Amino acid sequence: MMSAAPMIETARLQLRAPRAADWEAWAPFARSERARFVGGPYDLGEAWRGFAHVVGHWVLRGFGMFVFAPKGSDAAMGMAGPWFPADWPEPEIAWSLWRPEDEGKGYAFEAAQAARAHAFGPLGWRTAVSYVDPANTRSMRLAERLGARRDPAAETPGDATCLVYRHAANGGTA
Amino acid sequence: MTAIPVITTERLRLRAPRVEDFEPYAAFYASDRSVYQSGPLDRIRAWRDFASCAGLWAIRGYGAWAIEDRETGDYLGEVGLYHPINYAEPELGWMVVPRAEGRGVAFEASLAARNWAWQARGLGPLISYIDHGNDRSIRLAERLGAVLDRTAPLPQGEDPCLAFRHPDFAAVRRQA
Repeated sequence: MMSAAPMIETARLQLRAPRAADWEAWAPFARSERARFVGGPYDLGEAWRGFAHVVGHWVLRGFGMFVFAPKGSDAAMGMAGPWFPADWPEPEIAWSLWRPEDEGKGYAFEAAQAARAHAFGPLGWRTAVSYVDPANTRSMRLAERLGARRDPAAETPGDATCLVYRHAANGGTA
Repeated sequence: MTAIPVITTERLRLRAPRVEDFEPYAAFYASDRSVYQSGPLDRIRAWRDFASCAGLWAIRGYGAWAIEDRETGDYLGEVGLYHPINYAEPELGWMVVPRAEGRGVAFEASLAARNWAWQARGLGPLISYIDHGNDRSIRLAERLGAVLDRTAPLPQGEDPCLAFRHPDFAAVRRQA
């Protein structure tokens, strides 16, 4: 349950379970063109369901994506972490960075790396993939920087056209 | 987060939704029976809705329960206070799987959820949004004492539906 959700600190960031107030930072992202690689842009109702889905994933699975913010701040910048909806072929490490001004500073990398360590460590995952839209060059570069490698044989969720990057369980090069 | 309370009634237990509930939930939403509840939905979409209902509790402090048969432990459906951002107020909603139909399960569960909403959260008089043509739910709303409310704001961005207003317990108390 969320009460047991851990907090993770990295050099610059704090990762924590999502809170109701994070909606304010999520909504402008989900409704914008920036959300095109995560199924958006969404209308208001769909954006809210997407947010509630992230929260509910914690309730149902006992883990989920972390919201990350600069250390000592509540200002959510994005999400990263273990993600496993029903019918996902495999557990995923997913991420999103919500504001354009936070791009290019390695925040998503820092958050995804820490969240992946949590999945392979305390959660005991043996494998993880990341599903990336073929047009999402930023996320492709991030997956590669994380040491993940393309796995063309891996299944993709639903009928989504996406690339599958496979992470090495030691968090290094596959 | 808000702990999800357990409510027991004569025949039912309302409890926190669990991952295992998803299979019967998805089966309902894959069938034509879900036509009045935004269905049919594919499994990926059904999970998104299912999980977002589970997330309601942490966001709003109230939400939806799984309905369980007290005797057998069988999953019978869902009931609760639905309040996505495009609703102006919390909605009392219900869904029962086919095997639980015609036994008053939705009535018993809805009554318990409505009482909890009023007693534990001071919420009410609640609204129920029901699709045109969903005669079964309309009859249930009426059995719960709700009446058609033509002035209630409807869910934004969704197909027009009917709104039924539940009794005002505060007014009942004032009169008593």
